[in-house]
Amino acid sequence: MSSKFKGKSANRPDVTRAALDPEQSTVHSKMDLVSKTLFAPFNNKKKDPSRILTDLAPVIMTPRMMNAAATVSSRSRGSLGASAPGGSRLDFATLGRAPMRLTLGTRRITSRDLQIVEATDELLDAEIPEAEGVASDVSLLRGFNATVPSSEKNRTRRKQMRNVETPRIGLKKLGMSARGMMMEDEEERSIASEEDVVVVSRLDERGKRKGKRRGRESLSAAKALGKDELRRQTQEILLDKENLHVRRSLINSEIAEINNKIKALDSIRERLEQDLLKLHEDELELDDELGGVQERIEFEEAAFHQSDDTKTAPAPHVAPSRRRRGPVFLPSEHDELPPGVAFMTLESHLTPIAALDFSEPYGTLVSASQEDSQPRLWDLMTGSEIGRLRGHRGAVKCIQVEDNLCLTGAEDGSVRLWDLRLVDEDDWERDGLADVVEEDEGTTYDGELVEKPNGIRSSESSTAQTGACIRLFEGHSKAVTALYFEDECLVTGASDKTLRHWDLATGQCVMTMDILWAISHPQPTIPGNGIPNHLFPSAAASAGHFAVPTPPSADGSWDMYEDFVGGVQFWGYGLVSGSGDGAVRMWDMRTGQAHRTLMGHTGPVTCLQFDEMHIVSGSLDKSIRIWDVRTGGTFETLKYDHAVTALQFDTRKVIAATGENGVKIYNRTSMQHSSLSTNGHTQPVERLRYMDRYLVSGGRDAAVKIWTL
Amino acid sequence: MPTDLPYAADAEVSLSYDEIEVLRLQYEKELAQAHITVQTKFNYAWGLVKSPVREHQVEGVRLLQEIYRTEPSRRRECLYYLALGYYKMGNFTDARSFNDLLLSREPTNLQAQSLASLIDKGVAREGYVGMALAGGVAAVGTLLIAGLIRRATRK
Repeated sequence: MSSKFKGKSANRPDVTRAALDPEQSTVHSKMDLVSKTLFAPFNNKKKDPSRILTDLAPVIMTPRMMNAAATVSSRSRGSLGASAPGGSRLDFATLGRAPMRLTLGTRRITSRDLQIVEATDELLDAEIPEAEGVASDVSLLRGFNATVPSSEKNRTRRKQMRNVETPRIGLKKLGMSARGMMMEDEEERSIASEEDVVVVSRLDERGKRKGKRRGRESLSAAKALGKDELRRQTQEILLDKENLHVRRSLINSEIAEINNKIKALDSIRERLEQDLLKLHEDELELDDELGGVQERIEFEEAAFHQSDDTKTAPAPHVAPSRRRRGPVFLPSEHDELPPGVAFMTLESHLTPIAALDFSEPYGTLVSASQEDSQPRLWDLMTGSEIGRLRGHRGAVKCIQVEDNLCLTGAEDGSVRLWDLRLVDEDDWERDGLADVVEEDEGTTYDGELVEKPNGIRSSESSTAQTGACIRLFEGHSKAVTALYFEDECLVTGASDKTLRHWDLATGQCVMTMDILWAISHPQPTIPGNGIPNHLFPSAAASAGHFAVPTPPSADGSWDMYEDFVGGVQFWGYGLVSGSGDGAVRMWDMRTGQAHRTLMGHTGPVTCLQFDEMHIVSGSLDKSIRIWDVRTGGTFETLKYDHAVTALQFDTRKVIAATGENGVKIYNRTSMQHSSLSTNGHTQPVERLRYMDRYLVSGGRDAAVKIWTL
Repeated sequence: MPTDLPYAADAEVSLSYDEIEVLRLQYEKELAQAHITVQTKFNYAWGLVKSPVREHQVEGVRLLQEIYRTEPSRRRECLYYLALGYYKMGNFTDARSFNDLLLSREPTNLQAQSLASLIDKGVAREGYVGMALAGGVAAVGTLLIAGLIRRATRK
């Protein structure tokens, strides 16, 4: 065998050429055969068995066996890869390496070894793009040479070359004391003291050499470096400068890369923040939904009990729609509508819409326009007009609808309660007769009816003659501009600068709250509420007529604003009113006293709403203020370009009519403003009301638009 | 890019311990800061590959692989360094596969060509040594067997 080997080693070049030379293919194929036979034992051991072995008992696999397995498998791969460009690489050398591997593979194999061997395939498969950016300017080796510590070697060498033999002057100590550093270690101290000693001794010397000293002009003159050395230094310096340039470009590219990364991270953070907001929104929505569901539970339980007790009893009141939260029941088709689009327009009014309200999405809508004493009743399912509420002798200013009940307040100072179920048939008859005189009789009859302290039922019994109006509330001396009712309780606000609290069942005025009195007898101001209580002395002092010109809206139109009370709402005994003096007042309905006044608006308050947390009020001063109910402070102020005439809000958004054609939506979680204008109003929006994802708006263009949200 | 690559001989020149230490400290400092610049990583990896200690070489190759993985724009350069690293480790098959990949991209690359011939030489050398070993073992084996047979026949 040894002789054979020698023979082979003699034709070494032939062997190495074998792979390339086609004439030697026969030899080559023989080689292949030999190699296969030799490799047979290893091939059996190939990949799969060895893997099974390691899986079964990694402990019994010695590192050497692992190595053998790894190299065999990697070799098979390697030969595969190599065979593609230049034929089989299984030459003599490969053959000879097998015993070498098996016998001499004594080095320690670590997991790192295996790791890098395993990664090879993956890396070889990765694509190699053209170098770009700094990769094409500065190669890694240039960078290496520029930053490696030995790149400083030349510099230190030059420094050393320039070092001049001088007497010891204790520079180190000087530097240390200049930096205020104390010698801490015992060791260092001893060194320092040594230096001191040295210095002292040098001082002596210096004293001796005093005469010589004037001969020395400068340190540099004391040393001659020679031409070659200087040239070498020049070259070195140039090289160093180049190195510096390389390092600078490296650092610049790193900075650029970090900037890119920061940008990417910033965008990721932005996205995540958006997601967080979205989650917050979803949470609020779920809260609302939960509230709605719980309300529904109560409602259905109550309905169940009542249907048990008496069939005749009226269905119990759900919380009024203005305070109801959560989802409402919508036809499934509503989901198919694109959001933010007005999908229905009701056009039969002739003048700007003055008030509107609806019972539920796709329910019934009552709308009134300016100088119109007969609010119209609409079926929102079909968009057709059902009839009119006839009875008022002045323009209707405010409307609230709950289920089949409707309350309207008008310029004539009266408030009427309507049963919307009775309108249609009733109205058709009346339309047929079209007799104004009869209508007048009806209203007077109504008035008479109400004066008798009857219950609703008695009045209902006489609807055959009275029409849909089942109760009349009279008492205000001027236009009723705001009203709110819940269950059996009604509160109205009027331009006579009073609020009245009525009992809906009896029609009696329970209490009258005088806003003028509240203005002239201000309660002790709350700390933090710094604005004094007399912003509108003219409006407040004059007991006479209240009229303020509205700031021009987007189309330049303006009105005289005469509604002294812009909005009222109560919950339990807490009543909140917004009035022409710009104040938002909180009243106690048991005592009739205003116990807190929220000052901040600089124009009459036109609309307001509140929930457990916040009061939201809109004003002619072109702003909406969100107040904190508990502290009375301003939580947020939304500025608009024109006067705010109507608003509604929930935990997620504030929707407002702000004197522009589009309906403004303010997202309270993302703090973003948006506007609804697709197929929208052609003149500024004046009134609006929404439930869940169903919005109704009325504008100066006399149209009522119905939107999806 | 001009071929700005070191010849294999450069890889045999080891850095001093202090220099590797400086590179390592720099690398670990940046590791602790969770941002390692490519250059620092490469410096350390190249320093390690140049080292004669095998553990160092393995670690160096591992770092080069990391660079290769994370920096596509540096891949072409890294091919050569990886091949060189494998070559120094004595893993000629992988060295060859990386070098061949590089040569297929840049057939005129002088450094890669010289490395290819070096790898071939290394493979051949290892082959002969292995053959010699195997031959030696075989010879000793035949001698032993012959001895045994002779002893057996003598009896």
